[in-house]
Amino acid sequence: MTPLLEFEGIPLQRLRRRTLAGLAGWAASALPPEPPIESDNVTLTVQAHETVAVVGDEASGVDNLGGVAMGLDHSPLGTARVYGTEIASLERREQFAFRRRIGYLPAGDGLLHNLTLRDNIRLPLEFGNEVRPSEVAGRADVIVAQVRLGKAAGLRPAQANEEERRRAALARAIALDPELVIMEQPFDGLTDRVAAELLEVARGGELAQGGRRAVFITGQDIPVLLRPRVDRMLRIVQGRAVPVSHS
Amino acid sequence: MLGLLASIGRGTARWLARLGALARFAFEALGSLAALPPGGRRTTARIFLNQLRFTALDAVGLIVLLSGILSFLVISSSIRQLGDVGATDLIGRLMVVIIARELGPILTALALVGRSGTAISAELATNTVLGEVRALEAIGIDPQHYLVLPRLFGCIVSAVILTVVFDVVAFLSGFLAVSNQGMSGGRYLGMVLGSLTTEDIALTVAKGLVFGIIVGVLPCFQGLSVRQGPTEIPQAVMRGTVGSIVGIFICAALFVLVGQA
Repeated sequence: MTPLLEFEGIPLQRLRRRTLAGLAGWAASALPPEPPIESDNVTLTVQAHETVAVVGDEASGVDNLGGVAMGLDHSPLGTARVYGTEIASLERREQFAFRRRIGYLPAGDGLLHNLTLRDNIRLPLEFGNEVRPSEVAGRADVIVAQVRLGKAAGLRPAQANEEERRRAALARAIALDPELVIMEQPFDGLTDRVAAELLEVARGGELAQGGRRAVFITGQDIPVLLRPRVDRMLRIVQGRAVPVSHS
Repeated sequence: MLGLLASIGRGTARWLARLGALARFAFEALGSLAALPPGGRRTTARIFLNQLRFTALDAVGLIVLLSGILSFLVISSSIRQLGDVGATDLIGRLMVVIIARELGPILTALALVGRSGTAISAELATNTVLGEVRALEAIGIDPQHYLVLPRLFGCIVSAVILTVVFDVVAFLSGFLAVSNQGMSGGRYLGMVLGSLTTEDIALTVAKGLVFGIIVGVLPCFQGLSVRQGPTEIPQAVMRGTVGSIVGIFICAALFVLVGQA
């Protein structure tokens, strides 16, 4: 069975961040040559219904994995495949269409500051071709209730607290009901209770095989309370991915 | 000596690379219109209308003020001088060529750069620094559809509309100026309308169109080129503003050269 997410020989450190200007061709010519990579390479897979976490300190480069998987960052070595496809190798337009099938919660939430939290959640629904205009408002209401945003949905990100912003960012990530959710530093600054609640929402409920959705988490650490809910956890220590047991 | 030549060569190559990237960015942005997903059309149209309100509607007062004062000053000053040499009949041609065809599009575009170009660069640079552009890409929305297209077309349409507003107000203000100087308003209007050709109108609209593209593209490009952090935002605004002003003047000169050829 094809894994939902697959990293093969991805170096962790010093990845080049892609920008829109970079895509336009200018940044590539303006950047200095790529420095040599000095770390072990990561190889791992995430199967359907699995929740996998890779943690490590800030310098470990673990935060790059989400961006590489989504084809947002460029890795000079190795490949990252989602649903068996390397997003970075697709045409630009195909990349956008493909990413609508994946839930992505970036570090720092990435919410648009000129929209309310509800409008942020509506955005992928409006752009997603599958959803009819009449359905958008209803679908957004359901998701707002699902992540328990309540009245905060009418606030702009700058007016909301960190917990509300994170709930909204997760709601936006799962708006198109993806099979796989990639979360970067999702629990930083949250209480264990809220973190557990968000993880359950990301998993989308329980099936006999595990979570309804596969979840891939990167960050500096996972709250102890949540570790039993994570099927596999790896810690990056001096460039090596070391399995962490729950006990 | 070789070092100096190499330095000049590197600088030129870098400048040409940026110019090429800018052109590619502009063509990709315009070309992305065809790939706009059906679901995104409503959202993009909503942002476009919002941009139109900010760039065109909210700027009407400024354009009326600039046009009215400029036209009043130019006509009031020149009517006496032209009267001294018995060339008052040239006032119509002066109005059409200098005010409507040349200064109108340029001053309108400069006002747009100051009002909207700076706002666009600052907004998009902030979007980039806060990770909003990256997040848009991650949720499958092309930033060109959501951020660039509505602003670009908002600027193009606004530039054309405001240039026409500028010219109409300039003619009316000229009417007041000549009346103030004792000339018959009817004679003034006859001279202006007699001097106005289809070519003048087409050229004015074409300039509005081209200047609108410059005011839309350059600030978007500079705003989205930010990579390091918040300290780059004012630099992006400055580059977008200066680049737009330079672009407008270069294009205005090219219009004259092409017209003469």
